[in-house]
Amino acid sequence: MKLKVLWMYHDLMDLYGDKGNIQVLKTRCEKRGIDLTVDTCTIGEIRTISDYDIFFLGGGADREQNLIYEDLLLRREGIEEAMKSGTAFLLICGGYQMFGKYYRDQDGNTVPCLSFFDYYTVASDRDHRCIGNIAVEVNMDGEHFLAVGFENHGGQTENVSFPFGSVRYGHGNTFNGKFEGFLNDQVLATYMHGPLLPKNPMIADLVVRRGLRRNYGDVSLDPLDDTLETKARTVMLERLGVSLENRQEAEKQSD
Amino acid sequence: MSIRLFMVQKLHEILSKAGRGGSLPGTLALKMDPEFLSRFHMPDKVILVTGTNGKTTTMNLIAEALKANGLSVLCNHRGDNLNVGLATALAAGSNDRYEIQADAVVLEVDELTLYREFHRLHPTALVITNFFRDQLDRAGELETIIRKIMELTENFEGDLILNGDDPNSLRLADHAKKARVHCFSMAETIKSRNISDEASEGKFCPRCGRPLIYDFYQYSHIGRFRCPYDGFGKIRPDLYVDRVNFDNETFRADGFTYHSFINSGYAIYNCAAVLCLLKALGLNLPAANEVFKTYKLKEGRNEVFNLSSPCTINLVKNPTGANEVMKYITAQPMDKNICIFLNDNDLDGTDISWIWDAHFERLNDPLIHTIVCSGQRAYDMALRLKYEGLEDRIRVIEDSRDAIAWLDDQKMESFVIATYTALHPTRGILSRQARRHRS
Repeated sequence: MKLKVLWMYHDLMDLYGDKGNIQVLKTRCEKRGIDLTVDTCTIGEIRTISDYDIFFLGGGADREQNLIYEDLLLRREGIEEAMKSGTAFLLICGGYQMFGKYYRDQDGNTVPCLSFFDYYTVASDRDHRCIGNIAVEVNMDGEHFLAVGFENHGGQTENVSFPFGSVRYGHGNTFNGKFEGFLNDQVLATYMHGPLLPKNPMIADLVVRRGLRRNYGDVSLDPLDDTLETKARTVMLERLGVSLENRQEAEKQSD
Repeated sequence: MSIRLFMVQKLHEILSKAGRGGSLPGTLALKMDPEFLSRFHMPDKVILVTGTNGKTTTMNLIAEALKANGLSVLCNHRGDNLNVGLATALAAGSNDRYEIQADAVVLEVDELTLYREFHRLHPTALVITNFFRDQLDRAGELETIIRKIMELTENFEGDLILNGDDPNSLRLADHAKKARVHCFSMAETIKSRNISDEASEGKFCPRCGRPLIYDFYQYSHIGRFRCPYDGFGKIRPDLYVDRVNFDNETFRADGFTYHSFINSGYAIYNCAAVLCLLKALGLNLPAANEVFKTYKLKEGRNEVFNLSSPCTINLVKNPTGANEVMKYITAQPMDKNICIFLNDNDLDGTDISWIWDAHFERLNDPLIHTIVCSGQRAYDMALRLKYEGLEDRIRVIEDSRDAIAWLDDQKMESFVIATYTALHPTRGILSRQARRHRS
């Protein structure tokens, strides 16, 4: 099986170790004999986005984000075509925001975004920056699990129709919010750095399966030895005091 | 005489006699008097040192070089660079009327603290070592830090010493209209490279946003760069280092040959900053040679403990520092084990994603046998290495004592890498373990 990944703005949008996500996709495919290729694409480079099975866009610092902004908007048609052709999208932080309606900065200027979805983002004041470890309870493609990451964003994303998960520890889309990220059948958009995939291999595998889907249909993947991954995730969940069970307990108590 | 100052000084005296350093006196002083730092009558020379990496070393080298020029110096030699550390150092070096008893004050200042305390300290010179991506959760994006420092230097009328080979530092020259700007630069060496896989920030021209072109890289994004459109980076260095000879550990500056205290490019950059400052102040440069030659790095900077085999410990705080330490380790031509202590307390940075920005694939070297992962985020470190194909060589030992004991048992040379809050406890364990071998 073959899988083609397009890594957008690898040289500009690579804050908080987001490049680790690509490494995880590569390694997990390699171990299963899936032939994965990664092409990068930066400002001014020509790529047919619908040729790719997975589209990855990470977060960037404000300055870098301003540099890519125009170039990304010019690619709107190509991205739309890819969406129609079944490409899977993984968007982190700035990448997440750019797929919404607009971004309003601290001075009140509204910057139009790609408008694929109805959510929008408003910059917060200094005191409401969402920083820290985060745990999210996720239902994705029929699987139910806890994911951990690190969030660091000023932007408050509102009007999200289908969030990626519910926040069990941390902030999520808004300061002290209940929900995190955006999810549909094709797009996973999230504020979770860490990077996201190393400690959450179940998400990595679901993204790989989404990528394989358009050429191979629903594929099941061979299990891998995830002892270290599980341990790293559990250490954090224990520290944050979050488990799937104690949610139910907390709910029972509030009834 | 100020009663408050007297109390602070007494506390410092008592703690020092008890062999305890720390910033408790400064903490007390600032609690009693938020303007404490601005009370001091400073001498004619107040030199502040800031930047991402190499602050402590550069500050100490400057202090020693000024002493070699016959000046008396007050400095925060341990590198306590937050406001409480500065308050402690100034109180200790003043008389009971807030008059600093030295010809020069040399302070290492944390980048964020610099922004808040700059005007209280009345600096006459500001030395910037470099700007790299650092602890993002604590310090914010690099761009924010640089912009804040630009606000300070805009009306600064003193000497501004900049790393001319670092685009992030050189940017300040454009905005500091009133300062006397001096920059240092280093010629190509045998270790310079035409490409870099380490550069993250500083790829683009701060004036026009177009990509910078590099003739060569020294390390990370440090090197000879220029913007072909607007000429950013075309500098006439005030202090130029050339003839860097890594075999003899020597380099040349202004026609004189100096010895470096450690065989590495970034150490020579620290020396260049010192020489550039001395030149700006009209002092004697060669007097610094003895300082460079004999300088002992501070605790946790290439510090060796004699276990069953020698064990070298290094502090690591950010990707660039980690990359340089790994280059040093892999350049040592013997079989070795490695132990990495990764913590995520506030002072380490609670966000450990920086380990994915650092080039840990460099540890994929046949002379490296086992890599022990320890500390609060031991498993995250192990995962990072796993995804570099080092799976077979990883060993997680969460308890730090057990980790060091294991290294010792192997009877093989070893290298320890520790984040900030792991450094001192680990040094403690290492020195106890070393004592056992002596007795």
